[in-house]
Amino acid sequence: MDETDAPVDESDPIPPSTATGGLREYLRDHAVHAAVIFGFLLYPLAYEALLATPAAPFAEAFLPAVTFMIVVLYMGLFAMSFDFVSGYTGYLSFGHAAFFGTGAYFVVLAANGQVPGVPGGTPFMITLLLGAVVAGLLALVIGSVSFRLTGVYFAMITLGFAQVIYELIRSWGYVSTNPTEGATVSGDALAIGVPYVDALSLDVGRLTGESVENLLGLGVDLSATVVSYYALGIVVVVCYFAMQRIIHSPFGRVMIAIRENEERARAVGYPTYRFKLAAFAVSGFFGAIAGGIFAAYSRSVAPDGTFYFLVTADALITTIIGGFGTLAGPIYGTLFTQGLEDVLSTESGGVATLLRERLPESVLQADLFGISLELFVNTAVDGRAPLYLGIVFVLFVLFVPNGILGTLRDRLGGTVGKRLPDHLRRYFR
Amino acid sequence: MLLETEGLTKRFGGITAVDGVDFALETGELCSIIGPNGAGKTTFFNLLTGVLEPSDGRIRFDPESGGDAGGASAGADGTGSAIDITAASPDETALAGIHRSYQITNLFPTLSVLENVRVAAQASRGSDSWKLWRNVADFEDHYAEATRILERIGLAGEAETVTQNLSHGEKRSLEIGVALAGNPDLLLLDEPTAGVSSEGVDDVVALIEDVAEDHSVMLIEHNMEVVMDISDRIAVLHRGELIADGPPEDVRGDEAVQEAYLGGYGREGSEAAGDGSDDEATDGDVADGDAAADGGRRVRAGGEPR
Repeated sequence: MDETDAPVDESDPIPPSTATGGLREYLRDHAVHAAVIFGFLLYPLAYEALLATPAAPFAEAFLPAVTFMIVVLYMGLFAMSFDFVSGYTGYLSFGHAAFFGTGAYFVVLAANGQVPGVPGGTPFMITLLLGAVVAGLLALVIGSVSFRLTGVYFAMITLGFAQVIYELIRSWGYVSTNPTEGATVSGDALAIGVPYVDALSLDVGRLTGESVENLLGLGVDLSATVVSYYALGIVVVVCYFAMQRIIHSPFGRVMIAIRENEERARAVGYPTYRFKLAAFAVSGFFGAIAGGIFAAYSRSVAPDGTFYFLVTADALITTIIGGFGTLAGPIYGTLFTQGLEDVLSTESGGVATLLRERLPESVLQADLFGISLELFVNTAVDGRAPLYLGIVFVLFVLFVPNGILGTLRDRLGGTVGKRLPDHLRRYFR
Repeated sequence: MLLETEGLTKRFGGITAVDGVDFALETGELCSIIGPNGAGKTTFFNLLTGVLEPSDGRIRFDPESGGDAGGASAGADGTGSAIDITAASPDETALAGIHRSYQITNLFPTLSVLENVRVAAQASRGSDSWKLWRNVADFEDHYAEATRILERIGLAGEAETVTQNLSHGEKRSLEIGVALAGNPDLLLLDEPTAGVSSEGVDDVVALIEDVAEDHSVMLIEHNMEVVMDISDRIAVLHRGELIADGPPEDVRGDEAVQEAYLGGYGREGSEAAGDGSDDEATDGDVADGDAAADGGRRVRAGGEPR
């Protein structure tokens, strides 16, 4: 208590926001953002370049293909929206798949002209936003009941809501003639970009997307998959910065206060129910955007891939691996799990293929506890990603409970963007 | 009248924790609430702040009542500028101007000391908390207010410290700081010296006296020395009832208070045991502050109805 006369703390609590150093400050704060985005931008080009070198078999085996990277984008965005409410207010949204599904189904139904009031040819960007607003409203409805509960009961009731919606969608004949199989976009490709301006729009989809030849005269050809990757990436980046902005607003600070001590947050004057509800709606909005871009890319939606509770489980697992309450962490978590999936599947290379093709016959037939090595590879490696993911998940929960980004931040003593420059300076001086 | 309760009652099943309390507080007063353990003091605070809803009775709060007792109270009684907060929720009572600190430290543990106070200051700034699109760093007045409060409670040097790493005494000061951040008209302090070492108590008491200069304060406290020293007025609760209410010297001599404190629990026992506990209680509660604080903690474990 004797520090009363000590000088007011050295580190100025108010960061300069508008001074002349503003731009430099801004760039320094976002250097890590820029580096990560640049890395994601270059990845498909680097990957394709590697495939033309002698290292191709190893690149195919150990690096995720661009199709997997697209999954990283939309599932990463979905996991971020999950983290937005679960990691920052502390309320686990176990029914988050409902919002993903709402976004996905809205986009597909709107493209087929099945949404009343939305004519068939409405640009995808508009239906995407409308679907997200619908999901936000759905979140308000689910939340208005669920936020009367806390802790595990909140998680259970949101899960219950999502499962009810899942069952309804599975048997809703309006969606298609076979609702358990979901619905498919029957018309043209859906485009991401500026609505009604063809030159500023990119068609997405594995088969229907547009490919670019000789980009800007640089001699670079982009396949439809790569173009879709970039188009989806734009949406993900915009959504990430939007959510990050909200986290850093006074509203976001209230969310964190609720997570830390809801009783005290109420006692200092926050009607926490309303704040939680608003955060849930924002989270549902972005969860639906993730579902919408997934639907635009895959052009078909099924109840099991959208509304089912395992979709939420995916987001939960990747969020825990990436880091709870870090916002950016889930995208790294998704990158991690999708990378593992790619390495262990044979869809695009994969380590099983590599072993089968590269190892000499004598080694493959070698005896390993009574079975041949080849049989072991076939049964224990090929397509066994969920098994190993389970093991990795257990290890993460036990030994890295803060996840990849959370642990990194703990080590650096702050966010990577703020702390990394100082650490690097120490090494390069 | 700043605060007025009328027949305030709270029943938990068969137990009546607060029983028909008529209490009034003038603006600018420092009124201590004392009473043996389990007397319903914290329950009384919980009723005032809306954490619990009264079973019976009313609470009126009038932050406009002003400092000059005569004219203002007449006006308040007559015009009814007071608001009824009987059924208000904790956030509503806070925004009305009643803020509290807690008996058991109740802060935002992983946030910085500055952020604890800043987020509390933000709550009282209307729609600022609903600005989703602006960076929190743009709200320099929140930071200025928080820094001013940290200086006042002597924690300016710990602004960036993570709260859970503070010492116990510092946490007790921050408890008061967070309550102050809402710019309260009435400050309810629930055992601010609980668990504080005997040297630390002086600092906390100095802080309470400083805060009482420009706030109306209600204080729950077990340390009789402190209570007698700093209170303008003392109200004594016993088994939920208000048994005495007046200046310290009057309350000290009040027979009902003596009975409640010294004989209340001994009556069921034998005469000899009653005498024994008399002496012990006299020493513990009136003379020695630390023993009293220990007593407070023991009861918490035993379960004062909250």
